[in-house]
Amino acid sequence: MTNSTPELEDADCILITGSNTTEAHPLVASRIFKAKEKGAKLIVIDPRRTQIARYADLFVRQQLGTDVAWINGLMHIILREGWENKEFISTRTEGFEELKKEVQNYPPEKVEEITGISKGDLRTIAETYAKAKKGTIVYAMGITQHITGTENVLSLANLAMLTGNIGRLSTGVNPLRGQNNVQGACDMGGLPNVYTGYQSVADEAVAKKFEEAWKVPLSRKPGLTIMEMFQAIEEEKVKALYIMGENPMVSDPDLHHVEKVLKKLDLLVVQDIFMTETAKLAHVILPGVSFAEKDGTFSATDRRVQRVRKAIEPLGEAKPDHEIICQLAQRMGGIDFQYDSVEEIFREIAQVTPIYQGITYQRIEEDGIQWPCRTPEDQGTLFLHKDQFSKGKGSFFPIPYRQPAEQIDQEFPFWLTTGRIGFHYHTRTMTGVSPSLQKEAEEGYIEINPFDASELGIEEGEAIKVTSRRGEIQIKAKLTFGVGRHVVFIPFHFVEGAANILTNTAIDPVAKIPEFKVGAVRVEKVEERMNA
Amino acid sequence: MDKTREKMKRMLEEKEVSAILALRRNHGHPTPFLFTKAEELKDWVADEANRYPLTKLLIKIARKHQSDVIGIIVRGCEERSLVELLKNFQLRQGKVKAIGIACSQELANRCRCDQPFPSQVEEGQVAKPATDFSDLEEIEKLTEEDRFQYWMSQFGKCIKCYGCRNICPACFCPTCTLEDANLIKPGGMPPEIPIFHLHKAYHMADRCIDCGLCEEACPMGIPVRRLYRRVKKSVKDLFGYIPGEKEDEKGPLEFLGDGSYELPGAGK
Amino acid sequence: MNYETVLTTCTYCGCGCGLLLEVLDGEVVGTLPQKDHVINEGGACIKGWNAHEFIYHEGRLKHPLIRKDNSFKEASWEEALEVVVTCLKKIKEENGPDSIAGLTSARCTNEENYVFQKWMRAVIGTNNVDHCARL
Repeated sequence: MTNSTPELEDADCILITGSNTTEAHPLVASRIFKAKEKGAKLIVIDPRRTQIARYADLFVRQQLGTDVAWINGLMHIILREGWENKEFISTRTEGFEELKKEVQNYPPEKVEEITGISKGDLRTIAETYAKAKKGTIVYAMGITQHITGTENVLSLANLAMLTGNIGRLSTGVNPLRGQNNVQGACDMGGLPNVYTGYQSVADEAVAKKFEEAWKVPLSRKPGLTIMEMFQAIEEEKVKALYIMGENPMVSDPDLHHVEKVLKKLDLLVVQDIFMTETAKLAHVILPGVSFAEKDGTFSATDRRVQRVRKAIEPLGEAKPDHEIICQLAQRMGGIDFQYDSVEEIFREIAQVTPIYQGITYQRIEEDGIQWPCRTPEDQGTLFLHKDQFSKGKGSFFPIPYRQPAEQIDQEFPFWLTTGRIGFHYHTRTMTGVSPSLQKEAEEGYIEINPFDASELGIEEGEAIKVTSRRGEIQIKAKLTFGVGRHVVFIPFHFVEGAANILTNTAIDPVAKIPEFKVGAVRVEKVEERMNA
Repeated sequence: MDKTREKMKRMLEEKEVSAILALRRNHGHPTPFLFTKAEELKDWVADEANRYPLTKLLIKIARKHQSDVIGIIVRGCEERSLVELLKNFQLRQGKVKAIGIACSQELANRCRCDQPFPSQVEEGQVAKPATDFSDLEEIEKLTEEDRFQYWMSQFGKCIKCYGCRNICPACFCPTCTLEDANLIKPGGMPPEIPIFHLHKAYHMADRCIDCGLCEEACPMGIPVRRLYRRVKKSVKDLFGYIPGEKEDEKGPLEFLGDGSYELPGAGK
Repeated sequence: MNYETVLTTCTYCGCGCGLLLEVLDGEVVGTLPQKDHVINEGGACIKGWNAHEFIYHEGRLKHPLIRKDNSFKEASWEEALEVVVTCLKKIKEENGPDSIAGLTSARCTNEENYVFQKWMRAVIGTNNVDHCARL
């Protein structure tokens, strides 16, 4: 997030898109309700009428995968009406003319045709957000899990910069991260192209710094992303995969393919706390520990680095994950993998990571600190881009609208979108064995509009067949006006009737995120057996 | 709070109690802790801003250590909760020793508390009762239709975290009506409304000790306490009964406590 | 008799709520939202309130396992680590460091993620490190 979670409550206009906030990020939703009570305008743009959408001053559904179009459309209206923040544009940004030229191509009539959002609604949204003193944008995977994910995010950034809604309290562009430490995994260099703190592996100076710190020569060649890894395994270029605490056998698109690929490996090692679907395919499984059995830090979605504290000893022979890795590293000849405590690891992180440099365990003893925090005196950063963007001026990127990778047709006439529900978490490894959560949602389901259901003769609770170009599943129907006509939604958590048997592997060329949010499927009644 | 601390120390040293449940400063934050040694008491805090459901937490501890007498620091509301828990056999008579502390007038006012003190305090001035029902009156001024809309709009925010129940120091049923699939459909955000919240309100009518922890725990800002205050008021007007007041008086809606509940009960 | 509450951070979504794990005689018996936490201010969602429930589930892995034929056999740490190290070394020697890839975890701590990528980069010698953030 460019800004902090608590700040949201003082915004005067909140635009939520691609986030089912109450279910996926309840304690962020909590701030949004507070803001609303203080008089903020709430706009929700989502294919599903989510719980929070019921509280919106304006809720509109866009056609799946048309985000760039409506965002360009808003900017078109803003520029036509002169609602842009001219001072911000001239002093803080570059590339405005190119953006202006591009958004000329998105008059409301055309945008209405592409996105299904009416001209009137577009105007209201543009006016409300542009005229807000503290307008903030909140989004989640509904924006990123598209082949145009990066373009969607850049478009939202364009919109924020155009109206000057960034670099101040309670404004900004705020992605809500799905997992407790996604932010931290990225910050720590759990990415193929960067070391900790987003320092590029291809940058000579950076590489030299790390070579000095770690006392070994290092590769300048960026590595493979997860989707590229699977490709490379298929081509037999990657022979061994080590997976620590992830379950791609439920979370990845096109599961049939993932299974086939993982089985090709010469060595698959899985380090986890449960026998996950992925672990079942491993050659070696190493038992890690849960958050209750270890010390360390997590970085929350608003860049807040906070302590995790050990409450009990590891169960059985399980070991804290860092210990397992350090032992492997040492056995393979690694130097400097002898740490007396996790705090010692953190000190090393701070040394090599400018944005974490000022953070110590002592300083986060009581409360977390938000990075960047560069010196011992630095109080951390509530919101980013205060006086300038990290690279000086903020660049506008002119972005043309592109259709999603898959379109509906006669054979596959329904749009499929996927997501989370509030009672489960990711692949259900933990929530599936938590009685209080499992009881609330024991099995998967598909949301379908009652009108569509009626046309197909489908009733509430009936098991139906859903087919895509990748595969087919049977799943219970849940009739709800939450989804529009010809759109169906499946929560991705469940192994039985896994949504990701259906989803498309088409990926965003930059972020390499698969297009989970748009697919084409056929929905059918299951033919009853004669003798049934 | 020196006198109270002295008393706690004496109780531990003289083995009047095996331990005392209270708040301790822990990495800068007041958190529940079971003091077993006198020297640990230097970290004891009587924090006003951060109340935890100590009496409810005590159920788990007492259930595991049935022969021990355990002390507990209580404010007015917590003493009322103790009364309810003892009355309903969730804690055992004689196995709990309450040590009372007074609330400041500021806290009493903020809580709109009409009994901001336990029966006995070691030190300090007790606050004057704050008899303030303006929060209720504000809603009751509305027409029936508007009132319904008001509550439906509030309940619609519910994310079914069960926080209002989990934190409630007068909630202890081994099987919870809110989780009975015959009454309320599993899943759903929001849950089935208004039935989910009305169920709870009815259930709390002769048990709610009006501590307000439920409302503090609601991440969605639903004013659930107003609802419970309303039903509690009805019970008082109709039956003259006040939960948490007398240990030997059963609630008018009470068909429990007739032996069908086995000791020890299971608080959530 | 021992009861304390341990201040920690929720293991589920990215909100970063402060939680207290209730530990009674060495066993986690409950979770409470931290009252004075800047994010959750004493509230939690249903996952947070039940964050302790999965900890002792019988399905928890408690021993290293090595696949033998088509089933898993319990192994000592020594044995399991040696198998992993030997195989990785062999694959690296025969096919180069870029024939090895690692997925680090959005669920693990910063410290764990840090040593993981350091191991992949500094010891194995590849930048093939990613995680499931995109998914």
